[in-house]
Amino acid sequence: MTFFAFTGAVEQGLVFGLMTLGVFITFRVLDFPDLTVDGSLPLGAAVSSILITKGLNPWLSLPPAMLAGFIAGMITGFLTTKLKILHLLASILTMTALYSINIKVMGGRPNIALINSPTVFEPVRQFLISLDLNPWLTSSLLFLVLVSIVVGIMIWLLRTEFGQALLATGDNPGMITSLGVNTHFTIVVGVGLSNALVALCGALVAQNQGASEISMGVGTIVAGLASIVIGETIFGTRYLIVRVISAVLGSIFYRLAIALALSFNFFNPSDLNLITAILVVVALCTPKIKAHLRNRGYRSNA
Amino acid sequence: MATAPMLKASGLIKYFNRGTINEVKALNGLDLNVAPGEYICIIGSNGSGKSTLMGCISGTSPPDYGRTVLDQQDITYWPEHKRAGLIGRVFQDPLAGTCASMTIEENMALALRRGQRRGFRRGVGNQERAKFREALARLELGLENRLTDPVGLLSGGQRQSLTLLMATLIKPKLLLLDEHTAALDPKTAGLIMELTCSLVDRNQLTTLMITHNMQQAISFGHRLIMMHQGRIILDFNQTDKARLTVRDLIQQFHSAAPDLSGLLSDRLVLG
Repeated sequence: MTFFAFTGAVEQGLVFGLMTLGVFITFRVLDFPDLTVDGSLPLGAAVSSILITKGLNPWLSLPPAMLAGFIAGMITGFLTTKLKILHLLASILTMTALYSINIKVMGGRPNIALINSPTVFEPVRQFLISLDLNPWLTSSLLFLVLVSIVVGIMIWLLRTEFGQALLATGDNPGMITSLGVNTHFTIVVGVGLSNALVALCGALVAQNQGASEISMGVGTIVAGLASIVIGETIFGTRYLIVRVISAVLGSIFYRLAIALALSFNFFNPSDLNLITAILVVVALCTPKIKAHLRNRGYRSNA
Repeated sequence: MATAPMLKASGLIKYFNRGTINEVKALNGLDLNVAPGEYICIIGSNGSGKSTLMGCISGTSPPDYGRTVLDQQDITYWPEHKRAGLIGRVFQDPLAGTCASMTIEENMALALRRGQRRGFRRGVGNQERAKFREALARLELGLENRLTDPVGLLSGGQRQSLTLLMATLIKPKLLLLDEHTAALDPKTAGLIMELTCSLVDRNQLTTLMITHNMQQAISFGHRLIMMHQGRIILDFNQTDKARLTVRDLIQQFHSAAPDLSGLLSDRLVLG
């Protein structure tokens, strides 16, 4: 793997770390497999891009992108809690609807180029140049700062009363209802927050690659899940703080693993989905295989 | 009785599968008044409507007709999470009342905020820990030194003790115990009953306890109610109850519900 491929993978890992944190809220905190993210990532990209092309400051395009993601997540939450549609199916429905909506948001086109538009990276680049620093790591630095802030907010949030209610909703909804929490509310807000982060990720990815594009969300959920599982396998699941941070680190390792796989000429970029799927299967099975081997050890000792 | 009842359930009717061939009338115009501080044991064979009554009071499955008034508030149409501010509950499944992945102190903090708004204050306050430690020490299970252990590491009996403690951490207007010792081994069940009585006594809790164990129903509480086909068929006050034996109870049951003679389940007698 070249050095350039390495730094590129870290940069991707950091920005998709925001998406992974979003997926962490649904998959791990709420125990809610949410496929909305495949649609809310391009939604964030579309909202941010269209606002930038209309002349809005790229930084100011981020909150509307997050709001759009939040609403998308809330719709999935609403379909699940109030209309009693199975969570997996509800999220697929929202994701499907978002395909049409994203094209509408982008003014009827499947993509928007941002090559000559201002982005959030420009002021950071100027700042680095003014400090006589080489600006080639601009995006990585900005992503590192943003993802650190989000990690901090998430650790704080999950330890508040509201965050604890979110965790309890995922762990034992019957119990937390008997303690006075409306789980419909926690699920709707939780899935909303998750998709707000995913949309933020989409907006930043679009600005970084210079375009938003309708199909950029394909495979988001699998990548997010792979990142979480890789992080958990390496760093364990005992402490909440570790789990949140390892979601981001897992995202970086995931992108590095892909960069490494692609650096062998044996693989084509189109093999990516196959590699990812195999990676997730292996990562999901590892704890079970470990436990199986441990138990066999006990048996042979007995 | 001069004082107003703590719980007043009147004319409760509850159907399951209404309008289908499988229609069941689980509650058939049930009336029940519970005085403040009263500790009532409820027995009855399977399908007599005990758990349905609990569901109507706790809000998990509200009645089709009738009213439920708790502490002078009509809660008939309140959603389950809103009633939680007034009602403490312990379930039959010892794993149902706690969050396995969360720590002991986190679980207790969740219970300490029962019925309150949950905002952005710290989930577990520093002063609260001392309170939790003190309450846990009274269980004499050594849990006071394991505040930051995940609850999933505890045994079923320990988790049920914790659930009981959590249900009474802030005094509920009504404590609902739904066969909360049925899934435990006899020794642990005995310990949980001891704990139940001491918590109910100390806090003067108004309590409804469902049990399948007749001896338990006779030994504990101030009043004994037997349900059958969605109604209360026998109701013993404290003085009657003191003279009662399991044999009497079975006899009375047969005379009150002749249609069920011979169908009395072993579980009802043996618990």
